[in-house]
Amino acid sequence: MIVLDRASRWYGQVIGINDITCQVPPGLTALLGPNGAGKSTLIKLVSGQLRPTTGTVTVDDLRPFANPKVFKTLGYCPEGESLYDDLSGRDFVSLMAGMAGLRGLKLRKGVDDAIERVGMTANAGRRIGGYSKGMRQRIKLAQAFVHDPDVLILDEPLNGLDPQGRHEISTLIRALADEGKCVLISSHILYEVEQLTHNILLLYRGRLLAQGDVYHIRGLIDKHPHRIAFQTAEPRRLGAALLELPHVLSLQLDRRDPERLELETTNPEAFYSRLPEVLRDSNVELDGFDSPDNNLESVFRYLVKD
Amino acid sequence: MVDLILIRATLRELLRPRRLAIAAVLVLLPSLLAAVWRHYGEESLTPELAYNALSTMLVFGFTLPILSVLFGTSAVSQEVEQRTIVYILSRPVARARILLARFLGGLIGITLTLCVAALLLAMTTYGFSDLGSSRLSRDLLILPVGALAYGSLSLLLATAVDRSLVYGLFFVFGWESWVPMLPGKFGEFSVMAHLRVLAPHPQPETATMDIGSLLQAMTPQAISAATAKSALLWTILLALAMAAVVFSVKEYAPREDAE
Repeated sequence: MIVLDRASRWYGQVIGINDITCQVPPGLTALLGPNGAGKSTLIKLVSGQLRPTTGTVTVDDLRPFANPKVFKTLGYCPEGESLYDDLSGRDFVSLMAGMAGLRGLKLRKGVDDAIERVGMTANAGRRIGGYSKGMRQRIKLAQAFVHDPDVLILDEPLNGLDPQGRHEISTLIRALADEGKCVLISSHILYEVEQLTHNILLLYRGRLLAQGDVYHIRGLIDKHPHRIAFQTAEPRRLGAALLELPHVLSLQLDRRDPERLELETTNPEAFYSRLPEVLRDSNVELDGFDSPDNNLESVFRYLVKD
Repeated sequence: MVDLILIRATLRELLRPRRLAIAAVLVLLPSLLAAVWRHYGEESLTPELAYNALSTMLVFGFTLPILSVLFGTSAVSQEVEQRTIVYILSRPVARARILLARFLGGLIGITLTLCVAALLLAMTTYGFSDLGSSRLSRDLLILPVGALAYGSLSLLLATAVDRSLVYGLFFVFGWESWVPMLPGKFGEFSVMAHLRVLAPHPQPETATMDIGSLLQAMTPQAISAATAKSALLWTILLALAMAAVVFSVKEYAPREDAE
């Protein structure tokens, strides 16, 4: 169990995180926030790379900073791409496993298993310097759990992976959490997190904005008008049809793009469920639609009422 | 066992081609110069004079400090600069142990390099048969002590400050070159002055003197062998202890990543 009690971290005059109190239970928890929210600072505090300026951070009741007892049961996958480029992937994971106390057969088996689970068996003998971004991400992940830790801290673990890789690594992360480990991952992509876990910590500008089920957060978001943009050759006709739907607050034609129509609704769920019917009845051909509000920055703006 | 893993990993880093090339140049330079000197030098230049001069100037005066600073500082700063330090610092090993094991690995590499450089120099100047009459055996004992002293000071610099290599080079080629020549007891604040007491290399009397020799002649060293041993021992112990303490409490998370 990871516990932060009124933890703050400052870099001189710059704030990293501010007065955060929360608990991360066993299972998979996502730390969600836009760039600059303080995710990496929180991750570094929990993984024992930094000390809190005020308050406390504990992992299984122990303070993690430079604490070997904590690192026996903690695995950490940092965000950066820096690795030992002269080593092979297998040598790197072996070195990390050896430093974690694994020996002999246990070490070899642990290394083989970890490499296999991240899908790097075929490339483990190659120099890391020649790895792609996705391969580096996978080998970083392997070193984090090679010693079978109870707590896993993964900083943006899906960065640099292709869709297939994201799927494989997401499955692996869920499997690790299902084994009973306490897994904390950070991300700035809402949809990515929603597919992994429902348990999230929402950070914004160094503060903990919300904690709990992702549906609860979605609920908070959905109380605010939600924008949807449509691309069609007949925006006026589509607008007239959409206005008949309930929960539609406003419609706006884009002056710069005559084929774009933007709409605001207070109930996106109800709106999306009725949309196919409206399109069918009005016989308007739709070239595409998206929601500008689906990016995380907009979500946070809603929540802090910027 | 963890210590062995770290020492092996450090030695492996030293075997990278670029580092090997630097080591090879530093190893071969004194003996190459000796070979040239022997071939083209005056007849009055005895093997003893050639060995003493080149050992003082190149092995003790150049190879020893530069290798010690390079490898002493790189034990930490390279990991920090490459941002790989996070991997070794998130393993269940005490930070002080990590530091000292890496230092020991580096020290083995430096000592081997220095000893080979001294051995080749002695073989080139004296030949195989007269090696016994050289000062080689004493140098082989004192060179590791010098590597330990300069290396531990460099390690302390690396743990405590950024750009430690620059400060380290300034120390060995600035402070260490001039302080032993200053009047009074300033010489006692120099590692090299103590090493010279333990491994003396008498130089020939010459009619002309450069400013360094002149200053040295004006301020004869009065450091005893016991003082030199004690000073070096305390320097090494204090520097290593302070480096271990600093490394154990300092945050090394890359600042640029910090949000």
